[in-house]
Amino acid sequence: MHDLVQVQIEQRDGDDVIVARLTGELDISGAKSTGQRIAEAVPSSARGVVVDMSELEFIDSSGVSMLFELARRVGSRRQELRVVAPDGKPVARVLEIVEFDRAAPVHADLDSAVAEIS
Amino acid sequence: VRALPELFDVRIKARSIAYLFATGAMLGLLTLAVPHMSEVNDLALALLATAAIVIAAIVWLSGDRIREWHIHAVLVCGTVIVSLANYYAGASTLYPVLYMWAALYAFYFFRPPEALAHMAFVAISYAVVLAIQDPESAIVRWLLAVGTPLVAGLLISRLLRRLSDRAQQLEQSEARTRMVLDTAPDAFITLDSDGVIMSWNAAAQRLFGWSAAEAIGKTMRALIVPPEFRERHDERRRALIASESPLATERFEVEFQRRDGGRFPGEATVSKVDIQGEVFVSGFITDVTERARRQAEREALLREQAARAEAERVAELVAGMQALVDAALAHRTLEGILNELVTQVRGVLDADAATIYLADESERLTVGASAPGDIPGGDEFASTVAGAREAMLAPGDSDSARGALVGVPLLAEGEVMGVLVACATPPRQFGGEDLTLLRLAAERVGLAIAHARVYEREHRIAETLQRSLLPDRLPSLPGLDVAARYLPAASEAEVGGDWYDVIPIAGGAVGLVMGDVAGKGLAGASMVGRLRSALRAYALEGPGGARVVEQLNRLLWTEREESQMATMLYVVVDPAAGAVHWVNAGHPPPLMIAHGEPLFLEGASSVPLGVLPFPTYEEVSARMEPGSTLLLYTDGLVERPGENIDHGMAQLAARVREAPEDPDGLCDHLLATLVPAGGATDDVALLTLRNLPVPDRFSAEFPAEPESLAPMRSMLRRWLSHAGAGELEIAEITTACGEAATNAIEHAGVSGGSRFEVSGSRNGSEVQIAVRDHGSWREQRAGDHGRGLDLMRTLMDTVAVEPSPEGTTVSLRRRLGGNGGPG
Repeated sequence: MHDLVQVQIEQRDGDDVIVARLTGELDISGAKSTGQRIAEAVPSSARGVVVDMSELEFIDSSGVSMLFELARRVGSRRQELRVVAPDGKPVARVLEIVEFDRAAPVHADLDSAVAEIS
Repeated sequence: VRALPELFDVRIKARSIAYLFATGAMLGLLTLAVPHMSEVNDLALALLATAAIVIAAIVWLSGDRIREWHIHAVLVCGTVIVSLANYYAGASTLYPVLYMWAALYAFYFFRPPEALAHMAFVAISYAVVLAIQDPESAIVRWLLAVGTPLVAGLLISRLLRRLSDRAQQLEQSEARTRMVLDTAPDAFITLDSDGVIMSWNAAAQRLFGWSAAEAIGKTMRALIVPPEFRERHDERRRALIASESPLATERFEVEFQRRDGGRFPGEATVSKVDIQGEVFVSGFITDVTERARRQAEREALLREQAARAEAERVAELVAGMQALVDAALAHRTLEGILNELVTQVRGVLDADAATIYLADESERLTVGASAPGDIPGGDEFASTVAGAREAMLAPGDSDSARGALVGVPLLAEGEVMGVLVACATPPRQFGGEDLTLLRLAAERVGLAIAHARVYEREHRIAETLQRSLLPDRLPSLPGLDVAARYLPAASEAEVGGDWYDVIPIAGGAVGLVMGDVAGKGLAGASMVGRLRSALRAYALEGPGGARVVEQLNRLLWTEREESQMATMLYVVVDPAAGAVHWVNAGHPPPLMIAHGEPLFLEGASSVPLGVLPFPTYEEVSARMEPGSTLLLYTDGLVERPGENIDHGMAQLAARVREAPEDPDGLCDHLLATLVPAGGATDDVALLTLRNLPVPDRFSAEFPAEPESLAPMRSMLRRWLSHAGAGELEIAEITTACGEAATNAIEHAGVSGGSRFEVSGSRNGSEVQIAVRDHGSWREQRAGDHGRGLDLMRTLMDTVAVEPSPEGTTVSLRRRLGGNGGPG
C-alpha cells in the first residue's frame, strides 16, 4: 500500500533553513517514518526547520506526538522548529486543542515562518 | 438544226448577206441580158449590180472583222439598191421579189424589233418608188408589195424561234445530263456491246486516273479490270447483254485497277440499255474501300468487345477471389482466417470440399481447416504439392469414385507454410482457370499465415505484459463499489494500449484513471507501464487533477522520439463531498449514471497527451449523489469500424439503462451486449465506481492495523456528510473517531485481537459513533498518548469508554448544527 502522507524537503537561504512540506494524511501509519525523514533531513549546520502543513488534510494525535518529538530533538540541537497551519483548517484546530504553540510557534503561512527563523 | 447561238453568229450573217447581194446583182444583170422593155435604164441597172457585187465582195473578205452594225448597214444599203433598181427598171418588173428577200433575211437573222425596222424601211422605200412611177396603181398592189414580205417574214421568224427553242432545250438537257454525270460522286461508264468505252464521267476520271479522252474508245477489260478478273468480266457482260429483259440490272462487288496499278474494291451497278436495237451497257462504279474498312473495323470492334467481355469476366472472377480472401483475412485469428478461407474457396470453385494443410516446424502437414470435412486422399496429394512447390491438378475418375483434386502450395518468403486442396466429384474436373484462381488466393494466404503466426506470438507476449500492468486487485474502498474489466482485442498484435487504475488519495477521495496509448503491441504496453507509475506518483502528491495530467503530458512530450500519444481520463471521486472532478485529455467522456439515467460528462476535453508541449488541461466538477455510478471506458467499447462513434455512445447509453446497478453486473452486461461475438477489434477497458447509498446507520469492520485508519475515515466522512454534518464538523468528528480507532489498533497489538468495528447512527441532530475492539482498555498514560483522549473529549460532546471482558467500546456523541465545534 502506498503512503498516505508524503514529505518534500526543501532548502531555503542556502541550507540554513529546511522546509518539510507535508501532504496527505498524517496518522499512526506514517507518523513515525515522517518524523524520522524530517529529522534526518536537517543538518546540524541548519539554523532551523519549518514543517509546512498547509496542504496536509488530516492530523491525529500520533502526528501531533511526532511534532512534539521533533520539537524536542531540534531544540536539543539548538535549532528552531516552526510549523505552518493556516487558520480554520482541521490541522490548525488540532494543534490548537493540544496547545502545540507551547512547544513551537505556529504560523499561518510559510514565508513568515521562514522569515522568523532567519 | 443549228443551235441558236450559231444562228446569230456574225460570220454566218456576213456570208449570207454576201450571197444575197451577189444573187441580187446576178438577177439584175440577167434582166439586162434578156430582151426587155425600153423604159429600163440599162446603164443604171448595171451600175447598181456592180455596186452590189462590190459590197458582197467587201463583206465576204472582211471575215472576222465584221460587226453586227456592219450587217445592218449593208442590209440598209441593199434596200436602197433594190429601191433604185426598181425605179430604173420601171413599174412592170418583178424586182419586188428582191425586197422580199431583204425582208426575209432581216427576219431570219435579227430579233423581231430589228427585223420590223428593216421591214418598215423596205416598205417606205417601195412606197416611194411606187408613188413616183405609178401614182394610180391599185391599192391591192400596195398591200401585196408591203404586206407579203411582212407576213412571210413574221411566219419564218416564228418558225425559227420554235426551232431554236427546241434546239436550246435539247442542248440544255444534254448539258444537264452531262453535268449530272460529271458531278456524280460515282464513276459512270457506258460500253457498247463489244465492251468498248463510250462515255466516261469526271468521277470515273478521278477514280481510275484515266481522262475521258484517254478512256473512250478503249475496252473496259483492258483499262480497269485486273488481269485475273478479265474473263469473268467478259462472261458477265455477255450474260447481261444476252438477258431477255431489256432493262436488266446487276449489282456486284469486284476489284478494280487504277492507272497507277493500285487496286481497290468497287461496287458496280450495271444495266443493259437497249436503244432502238442498239445495245449498251452502262454502269456506276463506287469505291467501297471506306465501307470495307468500316465493315472490317466493325468486325474488329465486335471481336474486341467479345475479348474484353471475356477478360472482364475473368477479372471479376479474380477480384471476387481476392475479395473473398481479403474478407477471410479480416478475421482476427489464424483459425478464423483458415476456416473462412476453406468455406469461400469451396464456394468459388464449386468444389465438394476444401482443406488447408499447415506445415509445422518439421515440415509435416496437418489439417488446419476443412470445409465441410477432410478430403479422402488429400494428405498424399498435399504432400506431393508441397514437395513440388507448385500448383497441381489430379483428374478425377468416376469408375474408382476418386475425386478430381486441385492443390496449391501456400508460400511465404520461399517457405511452404501449407497447402490448399480442393476436391470435386466427377464429371466435374478442375481446369486451368481453377488453378489460376487458387494460385491467386494462395499468394495472399501464405503471407497471412506467416504474419498470423508472428502476430499470435507477439500478441501473447503483449497481452501478458499488459495484464501485468493492470491492477490485479482493486482496492476496497469504504462506501464505494468498484469493478473493472479488461478485454484484449481479438486481433493479432493489436493488444496493449488501454489501461486503467484506481488510486486512493488523501481525504477519502479516490482517483480513477482510464487511458489509451496510441502505440500497440509491446511498445504500447511498455508506455502504459511508464505512464501508470508516473501517474500514481503525481496523483499522491495531492489534489489538482489538471496539474497531474499536465505533468504526465510533460513526461510523454519529453519522450517524443518514440512519438507516443495517449488519451486519458483522470477522475477524482470525492464521496464525502459528493463530488466528482475530472480532467479529460482527448478521451471519450465518462458516463455518470444517476437514478438509472445515463449522462455523459462532456466538457473540458483537451488534446491527448504528448501532442502539444504546454497544453491547458482544465478540471471540471459535477455532483455525485450517493447511489450513482460512474463509468469509464476506452473507445474499443463504443467504436466499431465503419460506424460513427456517436452511434456507439448512444448504444452504450441504451445498454446502461437496462443493466443491473452493481458495478460487476454492469461491466458484464456491457461486455456481453456491446462486444461482438468474434471479439472486439480493439482493446476494451471498463472501470465502474458506485457511490453506495449512505444508510442512516452504518457498521463496518476493519483489520486492526494502522492501514485501516484511512479507509475508516473515508467511510466516516461520507456518512457524516450524508448525515448532514458541516465541513468542519466532519473533520473534527473524524479526528475524534480516528483517535478511538488508533486506540483500538493499539489494544489489538497487545491482546492479539485482529479486528475492530465502527458503527454509527443518527438520532435527530445528534450523531453517535461507537468504536468497539476485542482487546482490553488501557488507561491512557499522561504525555503523548494522553492527547488522544484529550482530543476526543474536546472534539465531541460526550465520550464514554466501556471496557468489558470481550473488549472495549468507546462511544462518542455530538450534536450537529453550525460549523463551530462544541468547545
